[in-house]
Amino acid sequence: MPQPGPVPDQPPPFLRTWRRVYIGVIVYLVLLIAGFFLFTRAYQ
Amino acid sequence: MRLADWVVLVGTLTSIVAYGLYRSRGSNTVDRYLLAGKTMPWYAMALSIMATQASAITFISTTGQSYVDGMRFVQFYFGLPIAMIVICATVVPLFQRAKVYTAYEFLEKRFDAKTRTLASIVFLCQRGLSAGLTIYAPALVLTAILGWPERATTLVMGGVVVTYTVLGGIKAVTWSDVQQMCIIFLGLVVSLVTVIVLLPHSVSFRDAAFLAGAAGRLNAVTTNFDWNDRYNLWSGLLGGTFLFLSYFGCDQSQVQRYLTGKSIEQSRLSLLFNAVAKIPMQAFILFIGAMVFVFYVFIQPPVLFQQTALTRIQSVEGYTGVAADYQSAFDRRRNAASALLDAHHAHDSAGEARGKSDYRAAQAAMDAARSHAAQLVERSGGEKGFSDTNYIFLTFVTRYLPTGIVGLVIAVILAATMSASSGEINSLATVTVVDIYKRYVRRDASDHHYLAASRWATLFWGIYAVVFAGFAGRLGPLIVAVNKVGSLFYGTLLGCFVLAIGIRRVRGTAAFVGMLAGEAAILATAAFTDVSWLWYNVIGCAVVVAVALALTRSASPHYS
Repeated sequence: MPQPGPVPDQPPPFLRTWRRVYIGVIVYLVLLIAGFFLFTRAYQ
Repeated sequence: MRLADWVVLVGTLTSIVAYGLYRSRGSNTVDRYLLAGKTMPWYAMALSIMATQASAITFISTTGQSYVDGMRFVQFYFGLPIAMIVICATVVPLFQRAKVYTAYEFLEKRFDAKTRTLASIVFLCQRGLSAGLTIYAPALVLTAILGWPERATTLVMGGVVVTYTVLGGIKAVTWSDVQQMCIIFLGLVVSLVTVIVLLPHSVSFRDAAFLAGAAGRLNAVTTNFDWNDRYNLWSGLLGGTFLFLSYFGCDQSQVQRYLTGKSIEQSRLSLLFNAVAKIPMQAFILFIGAMVFVFYVFIQPPVLFQQTALTRIQSVEGYTGVAADYQSAFDRRRNAASALLDAHHAHDSAGEARGKSDYRAAQAAMDAARSHAAQLVERSGGEKGFSDTNYIFLTFVTRYLPTGIVGLVIAVILAATMSASSGEINSLATVTVVDIYKRYVRRDASDHHYLAASRWATLFWGIYAVVFAGFAGRLGPLIVAVNKVGSLFYGTLLGCFVLAIGIRRVRGTAAFVGMLAGEAAILATAAFTDVSWLWYNVIGCAVVVAVALALTRSASPHYS
């Protein structure tokens, strides 16, 4: 089987570094859970 | 199903199959057949990864799960973004730079051949079983609509899926998935809008949400910790993270998707898209189930949603009483719901509290009647632990959705299954050929030979999945069954990859023994305890790592 060619690594298209992108996803998750928590309380 | 539904259904499926076959052109080498020549853009991989998970099971079972248990199943996905970040930071660059066809190929580079082989076998067992469940789900649809026996419909659907998969490579599968997801998004929106439109005129959207919440169907977050509770915030964050780390980091059916990326950046973006979009999508589907529940507050649902089981118990002694109790409870619940809404609109706190109490008591009485009906199914020779959760949404779709939309929803369900199954079977064939056949049987054959072997392996796994699908109906709600089967094996695989990537001093034999111990621990936990299956991944992973580390530290040259 032929092996595929070299695999380049590049910065993300936004927020400049992958570290910032990951932090953004974590913040998004926290906000999402908080939103679901408030949603649950509102309709309990 | 009317003529318009059949036209929409056949037209949609035909276009998807034709598109898949069109895209399969040029997949005439192993590299193109298994990895699409590493040319896929991030959005195609992202939608393909999402489509693999959003199979027919997502529609059929998740909505039913919400109907009976509320939205708390969404917490199961809270660990997914965390898992995606870990995978993007560690696994993606490692796999891409190692230039592997399978995740398990990497284990031989890091450990040895026996560890790679054991991991491959664990994957083949687990994914082979899941592929059967994926094929079984649409057979359930056809059974409900056409009245065909489930075994026959499983064979028909499996035959279509296997044919499609053998002909198309990963590139065809991926591009078909893109088309599938567009139809799925459309189907989701249309379903929610339709169920809201079908509510009584006196019940607004806000009223519907209020009634769903009062019945505990909008319980998206539960913060109490309980080892035996499958879905709460903590099991979702911890157990879910481990499950999704295993699923996206060690399961070839997912790994193969992002291995087709033309760069590390493209692979990462595809996973992060899922990290962001998956939870809202699941919440949306669960919310549809909650709205179906509210619809049935005003329109009496059958005591059992599986028609064959309902027909069977109608002649059983005790059914008349159960049916009368159910009818009475439904009337009480409908009246209590109307009174509750009146009190809510009038801002009458005392009346609202009284209405909620009546509403919930009537709901409990309906649940009890349904439970008794399920017991009658067992007493009349039906399956033990009978559950009709998988039939709830289908019953609603076929009885109440307008002409044309029924065909669209059924097409979405079937098409999603074809896509998900083809991806699973394709990955099973890849591991069989790359990790077993090429490694142990024919090491230096031609590319054409391995391409043919891949197609034969695809056919084999397709037949295997169809056979297993014949037993899937006995495993309870499908969405739970899929993840439960996965959890029996994922912890072991995850533990092995944690050792491979995170703990450099551990060598092959220690990892191999650790995997055996981890799998034994998971099976013992499943057999002898009531611990929720979501924790199996944590337990399996922990035992693999602990045993491998203990063996390494024992300072025996054999293990280190």
